[in-house]
Amino acid sequence: MANSDLIVGLEIGTSKICVVVGETRPDGTLRILGVGQAPSRGVRKGEIVDFETAMKCVHEAVVDAEQKSDVMIRSVYVAVAGGHIQSFNNRGCVLLPEERDEIDDQDVEDVKINAREVSIPAQNAFLHSIIQHYQVDGQDGVLNPVGMLGGKLEADFHIIHGVRTRIQNTIRCVKELPLEVEDVVFSALASAQVVLTQHQKNLGALVVDIGGGTTDYILYVDGAVKQSGAIAIGGDHITNDISMGLRIPMARAEKLKTEEGSCVLGNCLPGETILLKDDSGFAGKEIERETLNTIIHLRLRETFELLKRTVEEEPFINYVGAGIFITGGCSLVNGIDHLAGEIFEMPAHVTHAQTLSGLTSAVENPQFSTAIGLLKYAQAVQVDRPRRGITRIFGRFFSGMR
Amino acid sequence: MIQLSKNYSLPERQEEPIPIKVVGVGSAGSNALDRVLLDGMDKADLIAINTDVQSLASSVAARKVQLGRSSTHGLGTGGDPELGYQAAIESADEIRQAIAGARMIFICAGLGGGTGSGAAPIVAQLAREAGSLVIAFATLPFSFEGKRRAAQAQDALSRLNEIANAVICFENDRMGDMVAPKAGIHQAFGIADMTISQSVRSIVNLIQRPGLIRIGFDDLFAALRSQNGRCLFGFGESDTDNRAHDALTQALKNPLMDKGRMLSEAAHVLVQVAGGPGMTLSEVEILMRELGRHVRDHTQIVFGTAVDGKMGNRLSVTIISSLASEDSIATQDTSPPPEPFLAPPPAILEQVEEQPPAPPKIDIVPEIESAALPEPAPDDLIAVEPPVAAEAPPPPVPAPSIKKPAPRLIPPKKKPVMEKEAKPPKEKIVQVKQEVLQFEPVTRGRFEKSEPTIVEGQDLDIPTFLRKNIRVK
Repeated sequence: MANSDLIVGLEIGTSKICVVVGETRPDGTLRILGVGQAPSRGVRKGEIVDFETAMKCVHEAVVDAEQKSDVMIRSVYVAVAGGHIQSFNNRGCVLLPEERDEIDDQDVEDVKINAREVSIPAQNAFLHSIIQHYQVDGQDGVLNPVGMLGGKLEADFHIIHGVRTRIQNTIRCVKELPLEVEDVVFSALASAQVVLTQHQKNLGALVVDIGGGTTDYILYVDGAVKQSGAIAIGGDHITNDISMGLRIPMARAEKLKTEEGSCVLGNCLPGETILLKDDSGFAGKEIERETLNTIIHLRLRETFELLKRTVEEEPFINYVGAGIFITGGCSLVNGIDHLAGEIFEMPAHVTHAQTLSGLTSAVENPQFSTAIGLLKYAQAVQVDRPRRGITRIFGRFFSGMR
Repeated sequence: MIQLSKNYSLPERQEEPIPIKVVGVGSAGSNALDRVLLDGMDKADLIAINTDVQSLASSVAARKVQLGRSSTHGLGTGGDPELGYQAAIESADEIRQAIAGARMIFICAGLGGGTGSGAAPIVAQLAREAGSLVIAFATLPFSFEGKRRAAQAQDALSRLNEIANAVICFENDRMGDMVAPKAGIHQAFGIADMTISQSVRSIVNLIQRPGLIRIGFDDLFAALRSQNGRCLFGFGESDTDNRAHDALTQALKNPLMDKGRMLSEAAHVLVQVAGGPGMTLSEVEILMRELGRHVRDHTQIVFGTAVDGKMGNRLSVTIISSLASEDSIATQDTSPPPEPFLAPPPAILEQVEEQPPAPPKIDIVPEIESAALPEPAPDDLIAVEPPVAAEAPPPPVPAPSIKKPAPRLIPPKKKPVMEKEAKPPKEKIVQVKQEVLQFEPVTRGRFEKSEPTIVEGQDLDIPTFLRKNIRVK
């Protein structure tokens, strides 16, 4: 404990709550100690709708993670999702004072603040300002301007924001437990940290995290975030469609989706059926496989098409070279990569967290991409921090070690 | 659950098996024959007939007949059907002797070569003369074997068709579909042999096995009878928990079944379900209901079932049917199209006898509608007209006045077919039902109380298939 740093990622998902405990080693590697999870209740479309119940579930998951990893969890990084999250790109600009021409840390901070000076809806709050590129006196593609000489510093930022109260709901839910919230992170941003390699980010990639209640996406071009957002459609919708279309209970529909469902059409025999065994309170039923697949296919196709239209509002999708990376629980639906590939007309892959040691079996499940991504994000941020402000980082350290 | 136990059925009769002989003609025929033997066949005698002594010697059949001792001198025919024919004529007596005494004869032959194409029709003829029933299993050559062979095969096939009681024809090209592209060519031919063997054995079993519901020769021939047609055959066996379903699935996967698609065009379908004493009625029911989805309503299903102690835990399904040749299907297919014209709802709900004059009825519909409703929308009734369905009672009022024009319209009608009259009303009802469904206040299921996700004016919480109006069962 003395020379390693504990990081905990918490994702309050629509279908499950997932806590991943990891430690950063002195050599900079990240090791997963344990994964705790609990089925989620009181969450719809990635947002908390029943505070009390959701809190209980989070508590359950945290306790589970503590037991499995044998540590006390004090503070967590929390992922947020939900249809309210939006993003845009903005450019900030500062002019250096006459008497000075070397850019320092303060200027970089200033340009970031400047970039945030845009009007977002009053009830919204900033989640992230992610640097894309700096420009010094019109010189493009500067990665780190500190120490450079110049008169004018400009910076392109990708800004992600969401409704303040909803984000606060999530934070409060965790704080009431009580746990410290280190940071809130947009879930697709977290997923992208472990799903993509730096090389893929440079080539350009679209990460689509299809969870239970939301579909979050983030698009990288030239190693920088260009677009991100969320659509409040997810695996729950598929389950709901199946349940309504086949007139079977929700739990049955969920099971059918995960065990038998596929979004590839025309792949089964005509009249091929799935027999649902009868159970207490449920008379057995026979279901045509093609019908099931049609329902799933239609929903996913629509979701991808909607996503495509959204992404195509800006030109960046054309610069994506590495393809689409699908992750999240819903990516386990058979044939989803083919469908995505067909709609976006580029290679699509179903992926999971790639580059970690420790509990690899947990890592290999796309359901955990976001929670694991939180660790990676936290690690990256903590490395960055000493440059930003020493007092803050010390404060964090204390709260983390106590 | 009702169980078809032994005591429930008739006491098992230990009856004389029907004498059956399986004859393989030519090399392809004897290959198939070997396969039949290797797969196990104790209920029939096997006879190999060939011109080529070498191939004949390697056959494992119990009885062998060499054709054309003096015309081919123990060599093959070199792909000449004429030579095969001559050889068979020369050895007619020996053939007669070999096949004597059988009530039923299966002839397996690969058509396209010399012996198969030339001798098989003769063997069939001799067998018919001896008073046996003849079922021929013929394979047609791969298309890459050349047009000449294909023509010879077609020739022989049509002759077999004339002579034999039934011909089950396997197209090798379709067997090829069953084999993975990387598999060796021997496997492709092997599959053909296996399919033949499977069908021979299942038909023999079908006839020999004491049945609760017995399938006789007449049923078999009814299913196979078609002019120059294509035979559909499927066999599946399973012993899993869900064996009824699995066996049927397997049967439908047979290459001659075309995944069950072909069945919808068949007029007669023969189905035999066989199983051990543990086979239950509900299993048979499930199976038949599932099969029912693949056939049309007017298809005659000849159903047979047999309990065989030897089956143990397994349940097997045999499906046999035949399709009429392409042109007769085409003529059948031309008849259904009038149905769409019968779509306008009120007239049909009213009186059935009025609908056959399909084209003139377009005149009637607007009349009714203008009487009942201000907005006539002749064609897209599904989208616009739930009120019509809901207000089903009102139309009867104007109806009497329309009945008068109806007789005036009847003369131009050409051929009202009884069957067609019966069908459309049923479809009608289904359509009306769907309209109502669509205009119900749409539920959003579990998202009922959550904030709606509205994108581009659509509430995405409503199932996609409902919004896109795609019908799922």
